[in-house]
Amino acid sequence: MAASATGGPLNVGQPARPGEPTLRWTSHVTALEDVERELARIWAEPDLMVAVDGETSGRHVAARTSVMNLVVIARQPEVGEHAAGIISRLTGRLPSRTLIVQAADPDGPSWCDARIQALCVLPRRDAPETCSELIFLTSGGEAGRHLSALVSPLLIHDLPVTVWWPGEPQLQGIPALELLESADRMIVDGSRWGGDGLARLRQLAGLYQLFDRLSIRDFALVRQSRWREAIATVFDLPDLLPFLGYLRRISVAYATHDATGNPGTTNVVKPLYHVGWLASRLGLHVLSPMQPAGPTTRPRTRRGHALPGEPPPLHRGLKGRLKGHSGEVAVIIRPVPSPLPAGTTVRVELLAERRGSELRIDITAQADDVHVHTWIDGVQAMDRTFRAPRRNDVDLLGEALEFGGRDRLSMEAITMAASMVETAR
Amino acid sequence: MSTRRVAGTTSGRRATSTRRATPNAQPPTAHDPLTPTASQRKDAARTMRDLRLAAEARRRASASRRHENPLREGLRLERVPDGAVFVLFGATGDLAHRKVVPALYQLWRTHLLPHEFAVVAVGRRPYADDSFRKELRASLDHFSRVLPVDDETWDELASRILYHRGDFADPSMYEALADRVDKLDRDLGTRGNRLFYLATQPSAFAEIIAQLGRVGMDHERHGGGWRRVVIEKPFGRDLESAVRLNREVGKVFRETQVYRIDHYLGKETVRNLLVFRFGNGIFEPIWNRRHIDHVQITVAESIGIEGRGTFYEETGASRDFLQNHLLQLLSLVAMEPPTTFDADALRDEKVKIIRAVPPLTPEQIRQDVVRGQYGSGWAGAQPVPGYRDEPHVDPASETETFIAARLQIDDWRWSGVPFYLRMGKRLPKRATEIAIQFKDVPHQLFRDSATEPEPNLLAMRIQPDEGIMLRFGAKVPGLGIDVRNVTMDFTYGSAFQTDSPDAYETLILDALLGDASLFTRADEVEQAWSIVDPIIDAWAHMPAPDFPNYEAGTWGPEAADDLVARDGRRWRRI
Repeated sequence: MAASATGGPLNVGQPARPGEPTLRWTSHVTALEDVERELARIWAEPDLMVAVDGETSGRHVAARTSVMNLVVIARQPEVGEHAAGIISRLTGRLPSRTLIVQAADPDGPSWCDARIQALCVLPRRDAPETCSELIFLTSGGEAGRHLSALVSPLLIHDLPVTVWWPGEPQLQGIPALELLESADRMIVDGSRWGGDGLARLRQLAGLYQLFDRLSIRDFALVRQSRWREAIATVFDLPDLLPFLGYLRRISVAYATHDATGNPGTTNVVKPLYHVGWLASRLGLHVLSPMQPAGPTTRPRTRRGHALPGEPPPLHRGLKGRLKGHSGEVAVIIRPVPSPLPAGTTVRVELLAERRGSELRIDITAQADDVHVHTWIDGVQAMDRTFRAPRRNDVDLLGEALEFGGRDRLSMEAITMAASMVETAR
Repeated sequence: MSTRRVAGTTSGRRATSTRRATPNAQPPTAHDPLTPTASQRKDAARTMRDLRLAAEARRRASASRRHENPLREGLRLERVPDGAVFVLFGATGDLAHRKVVPALYQLWRTHLLPHEFAVVAVGRRPYADDSFRKELRASLDHFSRVLPVDDETWDELASRILYHRGDFADPSMYEALADRVDKLDRDLGTRGNRLFYLATQPSAFAEIIAQLGRVGMDHERHGGGWRRVVIEKPFGRDLESAVRLNREVGKVFRETQVYRIDHYLGKETVRNLLVFRFGNGIFEPIWNRRHIDHVQITVAESIGIEGRGTFYEETGASRDFLQNHLLQLLSLVAMEPPTTFDADALRDEKVKIIRAVPPLTPEQIRQDVVRGQYGSGWAGAQPVPGYRDEPHVDPASETETFIAARLQIDDWRWSGVPFYLRMGKRLPKRATEIAIQFKDVPHQLFRDSATEPEPNLLAMRIQPDEGIMLRFGAKVPGLGIDVRNVTMDFTYGSAFQTDSPDAYETLILDALLGDASLFTRADEVEQAWSIVDPIIDAWAHMPAPDFPNYEAGTWGPEAADDLVARDGRRWRRI
């Protein structure tokens, strides 16, 4: 019985169109236990029939997907609405149950408010509709600070739990750690973190130590998959593979909108992930963590005055050193002015030296393509283009939800990237 | 009880569990297997031989690592093949329009084809590049898996499709083709990588391959790129022709360059068979004769021969399905776990199973193989003609459109477990399924139940509604003990809700990546013919069959039901 619930079946007379989600249920409750009752009521509702073109008896909507629980931690309502919009556009890849958790009025009395929706998708015209539940859970006061207590009762048992924390996740707080205890995967976007993002990157990597089964997907790392493919392809060539053990320099240029390019002004998580991935795959270790590359020298007159009207040069970025079995590898991460979103990788350059020969690799991105150019001793060795359209949040979330298990590539790249800034700042 | 580790042993756990420390313990003898040798003791000085062996092992390890690119680890799903020229023979044919080009379009759309890519479409009919592209574009509207077709994406791919006219038997055509492909290599930077796709009539395979060899297009030179050939089924029409064709192919291409397509192996659910069997711990222990009563493999088609009378008259269900799809499914269900997921390890295990199927004697064929041909009837609420009334079919045809067989696998795991295989055209519905029927419980406790509990059944649906169903008995709620059969059902549609790639997309991408796991090897093909050949031979020596012997829209001839009924079983109702 759901005495305190308002709402119920919706749009049941509206036939679904294949691939488009249809809202089949909406209701509103104000107590956590009522949420559970209401969810049970949706699937026990005998009259939840929907009209189907060409069928007189209609079709009973009774199938919920058996995929996963998705918990979205949205500190602001607009973040929650944005996340809900992305989830609804996943169409064919909806999780079984999504909880969008928002906190409000932290200093007031404890309260809870939930909007419950059932979204159904007709995968094909001849298939039954399969549905998923979307719950907007807003809590105030003390209740809002106990994320795990809010979320745990509403999880579908035996299905994996994915926590998506858009924006700035509070990774070190007790509520977050309690919540992650019951999570299998966590999704973040490191490229959206404030400042240079490095402090939060260290916290993220620290979660691997705390939760030995937690799988982490960072959109910032996932977005670079075509770059990784492009770099790996160079070393698929038998003639170039031996150079891989003799890297001498990794240089990553990233876009900045800050006139000074000073460290801390632009998020550098993405450029650092390139280095983290390469270093982790090649078994390199940190010799010298990333440090500001030293002061810039502004063009001056003979008398030492700054040239009038000349903009100050950009900061040289960060530099560090790695070590492998064949020697040291210099790492440079430097800002360049670019109209691309701040923190976006603009260019990756690799230099390897082996037995007196020099291999230079230059990878750049333009629009939807990644270009790879390589030279051995100045002679062009390979020139390839990879089509790599930028993926939006819907694609990234869909991919992250489908990805199960602990991803070794992510774990090692994130851990290595974090270790490069471990003691830097 | 106090225990201690034996110093320096390589198996401390073993030592602690078997050796009790006593003050008077005797020193271990030289022949005591638990005694560490000098070379096993960490603190002991190693002999020269130990040092040499260790150095050799290190050299071997580094040699085996030499060809591995560590940056590839974890990138498998994102891999884009090397730039390549895709030479499509039979480009104006039905297969190219229905399957190959839609698959290429889909791969291009999802960015899984390299930027450095070109298709050289070879056909006999005269076309300009543009008119040929227009024809392909029109076909896409019918056959593309994802509609509507995105014109911008198509235009990108279409600009890479070039038409090359010529007769497959004309040597000068291949010389011109070689020049054209060489020029594309230089212009596009495809580095000499070429995939030859034979989507032609099977009778043209040997000729095309010989001609490719003649102009040296098969030849893989160091740093000159790879050369691969994809050959469509049917691969031969009997054992002799398959052996002959393999020999012809082998004169030009090495086996590692040959990719024989059986598109069933590219289907998502067929690939899932391997994951299901070898990625889950609970099934493999019961996957044997002790627990499985029998296996049924059904490939049912509701359609007839769709105007392909000439083709079907020459093949029939035994050549068209039994020799390839049905035996491939059987081998995947029955094979032993391969040691690795590497193409040859997988195919070694499959071929072992096909070898373990004893060829049937004429007497066994009379008893254990049923053939049928559909007569007129109703399908999909429409009257449909019988096979003999189809265009290009002999009115007195003896070609089978249905086959059911009872096969055995003579090995340790499957001895005594019958495998019932059936395939038919114009059956009531389109369905491909593998059903594993488990043995009954040894003692029936719930005999008083209103419904007799049936043995457990695991059904893997290959198409449509891909998924897996497990049937078991459950207590009906109430005061008594009444058991009813219920099912646990997994469907791809509700669990993943993502579009599965078409089999041709999977297989073409694998061929471009050089992964032959889902392609059949020469010995597999020949072994499968050695099962089917005796059946076709025996039929040739039997009296004319009583065709048609089943109505369109039914589940085949009665003799097929008798085949399983004789063993006290029945076909699963699908």
